[in-house]
Amino acid sequence: MDFKAYLQNKEFVLLDGAMGTLIQQSKAEYNSVPEELNITSADLIESFHKKYIESGADIIYSNTFGANAYKLKDSGYTVEEIIGAGVRNAKNAAKGTNTLVALDIGPIGQLMEPSGSLSFDEAYDYFKQQVIAGKDADVIVFETMTDLYELKAAVLAAKENSDKPIIATMTFERNGRTFTGVAPASMAVTLTGLGVDAIGVNCSLGPDELEPVISEISKYTELPLVIKANAGLPDPNSNEYDIMPERFSECVASLLKYGVKLIGGCCGTTPEYIAKIKEMLADKSFTASKPVVDTVVCSAEKAVEINQPRIIGERINPTGKKLFKQALEDNNIDYILTQALSQVGAGAEILDVNVGHPEIDEQKMMVRVLKAIQSVCDAPLQIDSTKPEVLEKGLRYYNGKPIVNSVNGEEKSLSSVLPLVKKYGASVVGLTLDENGIPKTAEGRFEIAKRIVERAEKIGINKKDVYIDCLTLTVSAEQDACRETLSALHRVKTELGCKICLGVSNISFGLPNRELVNSTFLTMALEEGLDLPIINPNVASMSGAVRAYRVLSGTDKNSSDFINEYNKASATVSVSSDKKDIDIFTAVCSGLKGEASAITAKLLESTDAMQIVNDMLIPALDKVGVDFENNKIFLPQLIQSANTAQECFEVIKNHLSKTSCSPVSRGKIILATVKGDIHDIGKNIVKVLLDNYGYTVVDLGRDVDPQLIVDTAVEKNIKMIGLSALMTTTLKSMEDTIRLIRERKELQNPDGTSKCVVFVGGAVLTEDYAMKIGADYYCRDAKESVDTAKRVLG
Amino acid sequence: MIKLEKLNRSEAVRYLGGAGISLNYRMDVLFSECESEILKTANPKFLYLEKSLPDSRLTAGNDIKSHLDGCEKAIVICATLGAEIDRLIRVSQISDMAKAVVLDSLASVAVEQLCSKIDELIAEKHPEYYMTFRFSPGYGDYPVELQPVILNMLDAPRKIGLTANENYLLAPSKSVTAVTGLSKEPIAQKKRGCAVCNMRERCKYRRNGEHCGF
Repeated sequence: MDFKAYLQNKEFVLLDGAMGTLIQQSKAEYNSVPEELNITSADLIESFHKKYIESGADIIYSNTFGANAYKLKDSGYTVEEIIGAGVRNAKNAAKGTNTLVALDIGPIGQLMEPSGSLSFDEAYDYFKQQVIAGKDADVIVFETMTDLYELKAAVLAAKENSDKPIIATMTFERNGRTFTGVAPASMAVTLTGLGVDAIGVNCSLGPDELEPVISEISKYTELPLVIKANAGLPDPNSNEYDIMPERFSECVASLLKYGVKLIGGCCGTTPEYIAKIKEMLADKSFTASKPVVDTVVCSAEKAVEINQPRIIGERINPTGKKLFKQALEDNNIDYILTQALSQVGAGAEILDVNVGHPEIDEQKMMVRVLKAIQSVCDAPLQIDSTKPEVLEKGLRYYNGKPIVNSVNGEEKSLSSVLPLVKKYGASVVGLTLDENGIPKTAEGRFEIAKRIVERAEKIGINKKDVYIDCLTLTVSAEQDACRETLSALHRVKTELGCKICLGVSNISFGLPNRELVNSTFLTMALEEGLDLPIINPNVASMSGAVRAYRVLSGTDKNSSDFINEYNKASATVSVSSDKKDIDIFTAVCSGLKGEASAITAKLLESTDAMQIVNDMLIPALDKVGVDFENNKIFLPQLIQSANTAQECFEVIKNHLSKTSCSPVSRGKIILATVKGDIHDIGKNIVKVLLDNYGYTVVDLGRDVDPQLIVDTAVEKNIKMIGLSALMTTTLKSMEDTIRLIRERKELQNPDGTSKCVVFVGGAVLTEDYAMKIGADYYCRDAKESVDTAKRVLG
Repeated sequence: MIKLEKLNRSEAVRYLGGAGISLNYRMDVLFSECESEILKTANPKFLYLEKSLPDSRLTAGNDIKSHLDGCEKAIVICATLGAEIDRLIRVSQISDMAKAVVLDSLASVAVEQLCSKIDELIAEKHPEYYMTFRFSPGYGDYPVELQPVILNMLDAPRKIGLTANENYLLAPSKSVTAVTGLSKEPIAQKKRGCAVCNMRERCKYRRNGEHCGF
């Protein structure tokens, strides 16, 4: 019998208990990792497997939990040797029985980006090596995972390099989340989408404490669930666990109602526990879990159920936005992150992400932006591109279950986009248009919607994951078009039973008071069944229409969200500033943001922009700098003043871009935290200050490859580069980076001297050391960086 | 379990190079806001293990040897505020950098306070011993390469989600590993001194030729 037959034919599937506990009890000695015993004490390991088989286990886990290249680094063995031996021992033990052998794979042991520095691709490669080394096993198990992103890399590595079934379990804490903050709902939704065969929980807690997590998971998936709990809590001194076999199996019995089918034990459990569970299961029958939620999208931390109108924020899109395009060209990711956070603050529950711009590499940018947004914001994302290769990259590197925007009725689109949606387990927006354009009638659009849904279902995408967009046309061009859109929308909703998505603002092109038309149309569409309005949530009347609709349709129970939102708003409005008479110099020195930008806007009516910059803002910043050096103010105050000046510069920039002058920039500077270093707050402080003093900063982020720094300098013709490193261990990277900058031909003058000025900083750096590794300037703090920029670029 | 209650604000001001500066009203509000966010977001976790000395896996370089001189036992400690704090600081770096630096320094204070509480816990359990101060990889010539060794000794990646990357940086970042010595005989009060201080290169006292007295 193979694994799938087990799932179908057996009421329950019994897994084994802990391997580590048996190894500890045996006092077997090993050098660096317990997996070495697969080779040095093969008989012992085999005998442990046999004990579990004798106690009734249908599946045994190979002793390969930590057998990855990172953890085996100092063991003297290769992954292939340890895993090969591990699977062989288990196979030997199972010989002559029906017991299956699972290749057991645990976390790599390093935190992934953004908290750590392990990248998705690196994680994938570690897992791929393990999967291939364990090809003789019958099942692949990923367990004790705490990061959904790492688990996604693992599952893809398994799916793309093996055809074995996959079991995936994660470890949750008492607060119902994993160490990295993963919610059980997100885990269930994402893994179900990726097509694993069974999911569940293992380790960390006893079975008595796992009920909340298991019951939550069961709401979001039809998959058979797995429980492999610890035998309670260990005593810190004796390392003995406090739940005995009898009680353990009683606790497990009470969880069967949630759809649990695969049961074993983790830390502290032994063959006796497994035997007890087997006894307990004898008179029980399996109850499949019945997911109660409809359709869900998620990030790792947050699942959003589409059971009421949910706002998709549309602002992350360069179309028609000069500043956004500029930000993309300058790699100014912070600009995009600000847009993300402000939309979420205004009520967006999902964010559309479109970075299509001819001047940039859209694939790379999409991945970069998705990762960056996910590092600061837990709203699920909608990956928006016309290019399937961009969608694929986005889907691969997204953490959670995203929406793809979009597929349409054209054959080319259906056959390129839908398989990606299936493979990565996403939802998808289906546009009701095809090679003949947008049908005029509701009937025509309905037909396309039907075609899209049929095709999706044919390749295994659930209808509930297809969100149909019946397309908004401009009412000033064709007044009947509004009716057609709404009636198509109504038919799709009622006859096909799909969720409905719609971009709203096209409706009002060419009309005055567009906002009024938009919000009225939005309300009409909501009443016809719109689930996912794509809008600008920063426009109060738009997000307000959705909130009001939720009250009126009865989804916002007791109007509590509504009251919360608008009570809060009226409370803040009443705080008015009575410091109207302060000047811009004082506002900047005291760090009064709101006041300063208002004063700047007023000044621009009568004063030349450059005069404001040179005669007011720069002198104010200079005074702040002097105060900082004289210890009259300290870092947070320096930054507040700099930020205030920044607001003023923004007002001026906007003013200039309207009057079509080029924005003021005093020169371009690259900033990066060097390869291997993940502490970037210092670099970010420098960035804020340089920004505020009018320099254009190309921020390459942290843990940056030296090659990328050099290539960017060449490509953008940049003469000044700032590098930061916090730890002694990463100073070497700084040295390597500087060497690469000096070696690159394009960055040299004809006489061989360097065209690039390199300034460096960081906690462990000294002036002497900076000179030794070939930097031009050592900057002790952010303020000195600005002084250096002034000296070099003017 | 240890719960943090109040954070030492003047210590955080000192980390930010503001020693001697009295907080004005706006700064005071900002520090209060940041303090309550840190206390709400922190998920303090720690592990420790008693080791008999000498233990060759713990000793490397001269400084740790002199630190543990005369001690019979060492306590190996790791502690973290958890990954959520990193995210909190990351988010505020986008929305408000001034707040971010205050959060960052208060979080550093918080992890120090967590460690002090762990010290108290250890002292309670070992009333018959005198304790040294905490000595961490990276102090003096004690190599940071010991970071993963200590973490693995404590099974920290699995038990509390604390890891080191390939450059021996701890992640989550507001974390500490350390070794404390236990001795039955009184220990000569050693000053930590600049050589073993994390602040040594950005310390304003040191820059002005002074010493913080720590």
